[in-house]
Amino acid sequence: MNHGLVIELIATGIFYGTPMAIAALGELLAERTGVLNLGVEGMMLMGAVVAFWVSRDVSGPNGLVLIIAVVAAAAAAALVSLIHAFMTITLRANQVVSGLALTIFAGATGLSSYVGDLANLGGNPGHHIMNAINVFGLKNVPILGPIVFDQPALVYVSWVIAIAIFWYVNKTRQGLHLRAVGENPEAADAMGVRVTHYRYAHVLIGGALAGVGGSFYTLVISSEWTDGITSGAGWIALALVILAFWQPAGVLAGAYLFGVVSALGANLSARGVQLPPEVFSALPYVLTIVVLAIVASGWGRGRFGAPAALGVPYARDGA
Amino acid sequence: MRAILPAIPVRLEKRTDRTPGWVLAATPVGAFLFAFVIVTIVLLAGGHNPLQSYSAMLQASVTSTSAISQTLVSATPLLLTGLAAAVAFRMGIWNIGGEGQLYIGAVCASGIALAIGAHGIGLALPAMILAAMIGGALWAAIPGLLRAYLNANEILTSLMLNYVAGLLLDWLINDSNSYWRDTTGPSAYLVAHGKTIPGSADWPAIGGGSFTVPFGFLVGLVLAALLFVLVRHTWLGYQLRVTADNPGVGRYAGMASKRNFVIVMLLSGAVAAIAGASQVGDFTHILDPTGLQSPQYGYTGIVVAALGRYNPLAVVISALLLGAITNAGINVQSATFPQSLTGVIEGIILFCVLGSEILSRYRVRVGPEKVAVAA
Amino acid sequence: MVSEPDSRVALAARGVTKRFPGVIANDKVDFGVLSGEVHALLGENGSGKTTLCKMLTGMYQPTAGHIEVDGERVVLRSPADAHHHGIFMVHQHFSLVERLTVAENVMLGWSLDGSRIRFKRRRAEQEVARLAEQYEMPVDAGKMIGDLSIGERQRVEILKALCRGARVLILDEPTTVLTPQEAERLFASVRRLAKAGNSVIFISHKLHEVLAVSDQVSVLRRGVMTGTVELGDHAASVDRKELARMMVGREIELGRRPRAARAPEAAKAGLEIKELVVHNDLGVRAVDRITLNVAAGEVLGIAGVAGNGQREFAEAIAGVRPRSGGEVSVGGTPVRSGRPLAALAAGMAFVPEDRMGMGLASGIDVAENMVLKSFRTRAFSRGPVIRRGRVVDNANTLLTGYELQGGPSSLVGQLSGGNAQKVLLAREMASKLQALVIAAPTRGLDVGVTETVRKLIAEAADGGTAVVLISEDLDEVLDLADRVAVMSGGRITGIVEAEDADVEEIGLLMMGQDHGA
Repeated sequence: MNHGLVIELIATGIFYGTPMAIAALGELLAERTGVLNLGVEGMMLMGAVVAFWVSRDVSGPNGLVLIIAVVAAAAAAALVSLIHAFMTITLRANQVVSGLALTIFAGATGLSSYVGDLANLGGNPGHHIMNAINVFGLKNVPILGPIVFDQPALVYVSWVIAIAIFWYVNKTRQGLHLRAVGENPEAADAMGVRVTHYRYAHVLIGGALAGVGGSFYTLVISSEWTDGITSGAGWIALALVILAFWQPAGVLAGAYLFGVVSALGANLSARGVQLPPEVFSALPYVLTIVVLAIVASGWGRGRFGAPAALGVPYARDGA
Repeated sequence: MRAILPAIPVRLEKRTDRTPGWVLAATPVGAFLFAFVIVTIVLLAGGHNPLQSYSAMLQASVTSTSAISQTLVSATPLLLTGLAAAVAFRMGIWNIGGEGQLYIGAVCASGIALAIGAHGIGLALPAMILAAMIGGALWAAIPGLLRAYLNANEILTSLMLNYVAGLLLDWLINDSNSYWRDTTGPSAYLVAHGKTIPGSADWPAIGGGSFTVPFGFLVGLVLAALLFVLVRHTWLGYQLRVTADNPGVGRYAGMASKRNFVIVMLLSGAVAAIAGASQVGDFTHILDPTGLQSPQYGYTGIVVAALGRYNPLAVVISALLLGAITNAGINVQSATFPQSLTGVIEGIILFCVLGSEILSRYRVRVGPEKVAVAA
Repeated sequence: MVSEPDSRVALAARGVTKRFPGVIANDKVDFGVLSGEVHALLGENGSGKTTLCKMLTGMYQPTAGHIEVDGERVVLRSPADAHHHGIFMVHQHFSLVERLTVAENVMLGWSLDGSRIRFKRRRAEQEVARLAEQYEMPVDAGKMIGDLSIGERQRVEILKALCRGARVLILDEPTTVLTPQEAERLFASVRRLAKAGNSVIFISHKLHEVLAVSDQVSVLRRGVMTGTVELGDHAASVDRKELARMMVGREIELGRRPRAARAPEAAKAGLEIKELVVHNDLGVRAVDRITLNVAAGEVLGIAGVAGNGQREFAEAIAGVRPRSGGEVSVGGTPVRSGRPLAALAAGMAFVPEDRMGMGLASGIDVAENMVLKSFRTRAFSRGPVIRRGRVVDNANTLLTGYELQGGPSSLVGQLSGGNAQKVLLAREMASKLQALVIAAPTRGLDVGVTETVRKLIAEAADGGTAVVLISEDLDEVLDLADRVAVMSGGRITGIVEAEDADVEEIGLLMMGQDHGA
């Protein structure tokens, strides 16, 4: 296997892993405040369709239109996630059911397609596409060049987001509060932290980021719209959060690994390697189950493991 | 972070007394009416004529025997996965692995069908169902045991297993020379596909002419009745109900809570797997990874169960309802009722019903909380 | 009693009354704590000490009377108001997030220097370490709460308050969760706090603690302040009996259970408990090698303030909670640990203090609750299916004479306390029992039901059952029991005959004073 192929593989892995990484980073925030949102796929699709709509119908300089498209995608997805937030936080509905309802509502046979139908987006090409940026002209630097300096803007945005989230969660007061809300909302409430506010805010941010991730499909990977264009990326994002054990760095690594493995898999089987690609793909999930089991039974429960209050609605009267 | 939401002068106050009967009855009805209103508004906003849309939907789903038959086709998998989810969720066990359990069921059923299907439907049918149930139960046993004995979150573990099951499906058909894969014929490697099961193993559809009921649907009806009886009228169901609502009582009365937890998961997995068997036996007659994975019956089943408030009999109705809407989406596909409306309508109904449930536990109070202050 | 307004009085309640529907929790209470003083608040459960403190920390509002801080009248509308005045309470249940560190927990919702965004971890850890050292409460500021012992966690709770400028600290029964060594360390810290000019209100029912650490002791009984004693330098010569009398009162009500043929058949084994050791949910030893024998037909009352191991004791005997050591036999038959059904088979019934969370399933109806333990008998099944008719008949039979409001199909969760207890008793006392463990039998019940319950207990004993009666209501115990064992700190501090029980002595036993000390 020659070096060029490996480098190409990594660069491709980063490229294709980015939308899931962004969505997963958003879901990470929501889950760390204790709210599980299974509707990520739906929100990504909302972002994708709205972004495409803007790119098709708004005219202006490429960069500006793309920015507007991404922002619009974020807003649309956040708006949709507001439903989930309202259901689970204020109305204390079951988070699993609400999230799945959101996937159905906004997903491939839902609102995102509906918008696509109404605006007649299918089959029409977009007018703006985000190409790879040749950062500092370093595209051809050996090894690092194609990987780090030849990616579209959203990839760099995702790195900034990951770093920002890490700093936010671990180094700020708000991050401390949000961690407390996700672990022990009663204690946080007793200390004056407004549980409801934190949960709402982070579910909405999670939605917005899922929308941004979704926009990658219609602004970067291709410039067209089809129903369900994200084809399961939202579900992968959900898995990523768990696989990364709710750590931003892990999310990035996991997403890129996914990207690499899926590209690698196709490559390997063409070369007649016996081990099926699905085994590689399944390994992270199996490993996660094993680690979840080990952690739950006690070892490392302090450091790893799901936020303790994940999935549990909070009510001050202890209902 | 301080004041993201303005202070709303409406509060929810926990009910301390019994929920009035009228509230319990009126709530779902009210929720449906509310949903109906919102859907109409959405239709208008989208430039549709609501009357045309509703009529198109009804025509495709209920107004003729062939329409009803079509609805039943859509409703069958939803009924089975809905029952699977209802049984688990009623007991406070958040099994979201129905999707994966369905895949495993399909794998087992088609495998058995390929092996012995030629011997006739009398043998093949029960064998397929049994094989599916065993496979699904075993698949569900993993998160069940992990939760019961290691206290690992079953939402996360069952979710992970869905992906693994999906990959298994992909591998069997797309990337291996497995027993399930059709390696003969001209198109064998062009587009990977599975072997068709013997015709004698196709599940019979009951009825005649334009009104036919898929066998899987009948299985679902029987299961609904059995599960209802199980939960309400057997001592096992009694134990499950007691320990679900009151774990302390379970301890006090010497009930084997952990064992019961696993039993519920096994049951749930087995029922979801039958949905997979039905897909193969009733409809596709082949192991089709894409066809099984894209409709997401397992996840939709959870929504169906929630609509039916986890009561097996009500789940039949909600499965029919969602089946009707889904079917309309598939078969109408016109300007008056594009397929994309399916999810929108289903989502709105579900949110309204879900949101209304809180009224049975809380009452709404307007106005600020009165705090007594001493003179 | 401190009565003149005095700015040295850091916090005071003046003529404070608190009424709830149906009960007066505090009745014209005058209470004050001086700066630099440790003032103990002594009383049984239900004496009103928790209510008083909740008013001092803004969680409740007084129905009458007012609160003073530094001699000035204030209205505390919420704990935040109280915090503003430097008043903090450390509850028995901690508000700590396990996965965060000590410093992070202390800083939750708070900022050292007003910084709104940045969380200055090192600064926080230094500050916590500084305070910890100052008050001799060593704790590693960088460690996760989940890795700390209970004693250390309690220190974190106190540090939380100190960091926010606490001047008055209210500690609610702080030693319930501590080992004796940890308790000693706590007392040292408390003395340090007082020396530094802070005020500490120390709620307790344990005499030796109170004497070890306080400057003054105020005693509450049934919502009324019965007296305040200054300890000063002569703690040793304080009349303990006087304190016990103030805490427990001296009304021995008439209406003791007439026990005609009272000599319990000492020869016949009822319930035998040997060297029982039980741990609670936190892994702390709650029952510390108790040995007791209850004869058939005898009522053994277990008196003592709640939280001294009674719950674990009852659960372990009934097989609901596994034992860590010791043996239990019912009617001569040994019962295996952690097997409620084995205990049942040996002839033991258990009426727990937690009616709705343990004894009864609130989501099912009365008839189904009646068969909670007996549903496995074949009489109630036809194959796998429940024979509902038989279940209902069974319920009706068991309930005869109980005058239950509502029928077998009423949902138990909606029954009143009294009716729920009737259901529980009807089930548990259905057959002739070898042994009965019954806890808090009349808590929250009105007079009529209370009388019924007591009558049932007496009848059971008269019928030959060995009864263990656990109750915080000392009068009830004295009325019904033949002997009274006092439980404190997981051990039996003394056993007396009920007939000639000296109430003050029992009060001492309840406060941790061993018999004969």
